[in-house]
Amino acid sequence: MTSVETAGPIRSPGAQPILLALGFAILVAISLAAIWLVDRARDDSQTVVATFDIQNRLSLILLNLRRAESAQRGYIITGQKPYRDEYREAAANTMPAVKSAAEVIGLDPSLKDGFEKVPALVERKLAEMERVVELHDSGRPREAADLIWHGEGRAAMTDVRDAIVELYSVERKLLEARQAESAHTNTLLLLVTLLGTAAIAAIGAVSIYLVQRTSRQREQARAALLDINENLEARIEERTAELREANNEIQRFAYIVSHDLRSPLVNIMGFTAEIEAIKNDIFDQLPVAEENDTEASRKTVELSRDFDESLGFIKGSIGKMDRLINSILKLSREGQRTFKPEYVSMDQLIRSITDAVAHQAAEKEVEITVEALPPLKSDRLALEQIFSNLVDNALKYTAPGRPGHVRIRGRAEHLRVVYEVEDNGRGIAPEDHQRVFDLFRRAGEQDQKGEGIGLAHSRALVRRLGGYMTLKSELGKGSTFIVTLPRRMQEDERHAA
Amino acid sequence: MSEHVSIVMVEDDEGHARLIERNIRRAGVSNEIIPFKNGTEAVRFLFGSDGSGAVNSGRALLILLDLNLPDMSGVDILKRVKANEHLRLTPVVVLTTTDDEGEVKRCYDLGANVYITKPVNYESFANAIRQLGLFFSVIQVPVTA
Repeated sequence: MTSVETAGPIRSPGAQPILLALGFAILVAISLAAIWLVDRARDDSQTVVATFDIQNRLSLILLNLRRAESAQRGYIITGQKPYRDEYREAAANTMPAVKSAAEVIGLDPSLKDGFEKVPALVERKLAEMERVVELHDSGRPREAADLIWHGEGRAAMTDVRDAIVELYSVERKLLEARQAESAHTNTLLLLVTLLGTAAIAAIGAVSIYLVQRTSRQREQARAALLDINENLEARIEERTAELREANNEIQRFAYIVSHDLRSPLVNIMGFTAEIEAIKNDIFDQLPVAEENDTEASRKTVELSRDFDESLGFIKGSIGKMDRLINSILKLSREGQRTFKPEYVSMDQLIRSITDAVAHQAAEKEVEITVEALPPLKSDRLALEQIFSNLVDNALKYTAPGRPGHVRIRGRAEHLRVVYEVEDNGRGIAPEDHQRVFDLFRRAGEQDQKGEGIGLAHSRALVRRLGGYMTLKSELGKGSTFIVTLPRRMQEDERHAA
Repeated sequence: MSEHVSIVMVEDDEGHARLIERNIRRAGVSNEIIPFKNGTEAVRFLFGSDGSGAVNSGRALLILLDLNLPDMSGVDILKRVKANEHLRLTPVVVLTTTDDEGEVKRCYDLGANVYITKPVNYESFANAIRQLGLFFSVIQVPVTA
């Protein structure tokens, strides 16, 4: 029988979980990275907002200061009260704006140093403007204009503006740096996501490929197996048919040969009888007188005896040959018989056999013990022939000077039944254990009648019933014939012969 | 048995033929025995050159038939004889080595009148033939139409 080697081993069933685990790990990594990056991006945008807030507050300082300056100048020029009011309002708003900016900037170490001087500068400018306005209020516009003309106010304003512009640019640079960082973060996020996606897609592709390959291999293996199975069945059928044919041929051969052997035997026997008749006629005419003890009559008697002896041997041999041929014929006929499986009670079957030989057993002083036997489904006639033969043998080959005892027992195994016929007879020598099953062969002392057919026939029958027969025996101690049969004879086995 | 009845013996084995003849004679039957060693010659004799059997119409015959012939089966001859309008009433004694039950039954089914197995035991053989002679002496062989 050939093994399933065409399909090859189905590889990498273990790769699948590993790939899945890998894909899952990558997904988790991507998710973690994304969460971290999104968090970073949110931080980034918050700092951007903070930057704008700082810039806004700084601008507010400058705006209030400029408003105050411009209103102050309008007041100086026109002397009108609305300008003065506006100036007052703007000047009053300026210091709170500085305070508000300081609150935010105080948290930012990079701006803190640059901002420290701003309140002082603003206050200087405010003080300058206040002095101008007070001079104007106190009716000295000329002095006030001089003060403006002197340029102190402008210088103070420039200082404030420069300080704030510097802070502004610092903050802008910070913002730019943060924006760059944010963009980098975003790029990284995109890259990680893309790479992860690509990796998962690749794993998916590999996975699909592996699954397809596995299923393809499985399909191929299945097809190969199916093919082999079908072939096997076909081959078994073929062999069985061949064997059946060969067996039939042997049966026919045996039948024809035994017939054709019989034909000349009829002649040999017939003409031997004719010769015997002629001999009798001849010797009847010869002078046979026992009282005449002549040389001639003694010779005649001797001749007649020789004749009878020779004829006796010829007839004996013919008789033996006839029996052998009949046995072959019987075997060949048995071989052609179709079995009919039926449920057989072995208890009943063995009882009828032992009943039939009861007289013979009593005569030979043999005790037969039968234990409970399991029933089976098989051919009744074949079983009768097998067990009759075994019981007959057990009764036939007893050991001299010992009361015979035949035990018949049986047991059921899983799908088989085993029957044993044990005797305490003369036994069979180990070298004859096979021989006794051969056709026309017998073992031990040839003191019993028989052609050497019984066991050969029984074993052939057991085989045809789907079982086998074995022998355990020790010379001088006894023999046990063990018949193992299927518990249920298959319908098919009927044709197996 | 009426003197004019002829015994047609179809037997390929010369020894068997001779033994049969001797034992028939010993039984006191002196009718003419026409021996044939094969089926073809026997068929030609029985059915004539035209194969109709008309040639033996009105002749009293008795056929001794062996089944194992070299050129054909005795069963075929039996079949033809029993199917022929001129010969179907001719008694047929099947005398062969085959004692197969199926074969015996088949021959009787085909219309064989007697079936005798040739026993190797000569006493039985001679006895069987003598019985046959006795049978010959009591049967009334009909003159076929």
